[in-house]
Amino acid sequence: MVAAKKTKKTHESINNRLALVMKSGRYTLGYKTVLKSLRNSKDLEEMNLLLVFKSKTLIGEVRKLVIIANNCPPLRKSEIEYYAMLAKVGVHHYNGNNVDLGTACGKYFRVCCLSIIDPGDSDIIKSMPSDH
Amino acid sequence: MVKFLKPNKAVIVLQGRYAGRKAVIIKSFDEGTRDRPYGQCLVAGIKKYPSKVIKKDSAKKTAKKSRVKCFIKLVNYQHLMPTRYTLDVDLKDVVSVDALQSKEKKVAAAKETKARFEERFKTGKNRWFFTKLRF
Repeated sequence: MVAAKKTKKTHESINNRLALVMKSGRYTLGYKTVLKSLRNSKDLEEMNLLLVFKSKTLIGEVRKLVIIANNCPPLRKSEIEYYAMLAKVGVHHYNGNNVDLGTACGKYFRVCCLSIIDPGDSDIIKSMPSDH
Repeated sequence: MVKFLKPNKAVIVLQGRYAGRKAVIIKSFDEGTRDRPYGQCLVAGIKKYPSKVIKKDSAKKTAKKSRVKCFIKLVNYQHLMPTRYTLDVDLKDVVSVDALQSKEKKVAAAKETKARFEERFKTGKNRWFFTKLRF
């Protein structure tokens, strides 16, 4: 299973995909905004409507993804996972700590959790759910 | 991505005087209102949980122990913890935002929710909602 052995290759591909999301998609960084984005569905409903108009077919929901660093405190981690379970949003446990996740996002600060609202050109959301 | 802060959802109040109490969402305002420009919802919760009733109790004691004291409040989303439980009590007609405007309306609404909560408790359903959260 790919999830079991986190080889360097898949790890780099996550980083690449994340970089693409940073460039072209919409995301929020940080615990408070992640919870906010999980609570609201306003943006998403607008985008769903847009998608339906554009393509004239009912695509599946525009999915969100939440990425959590591995040194996130366990209470916070389980809280985010619970919110994501209620919102039916995927959660990805990043293979690295918050320093690495910040670097992967191209930022010079630590990022413990981030939420991808719109993946843009990236296929991170389509390929990630197969991991877990 | 599903919106889950909907009416009938059971939540736990995290901050304020009622921290740690369970409540049910009656109406949610995602956008907020003009004087409260943040996401909030109107909740009705339990101020005082019903005590444990044992077989030895007389009918009078059971009645006394099964009393529920309620509160009605507008709470910011940030101060709530949503749960996977729901509580199907129809409180929309009783509780509304203008019930919070004046003291008498608030008391009347609280009395009505108290009656509804108590009858729900007596049927034995939604047992999780009426047990005190231990922390």
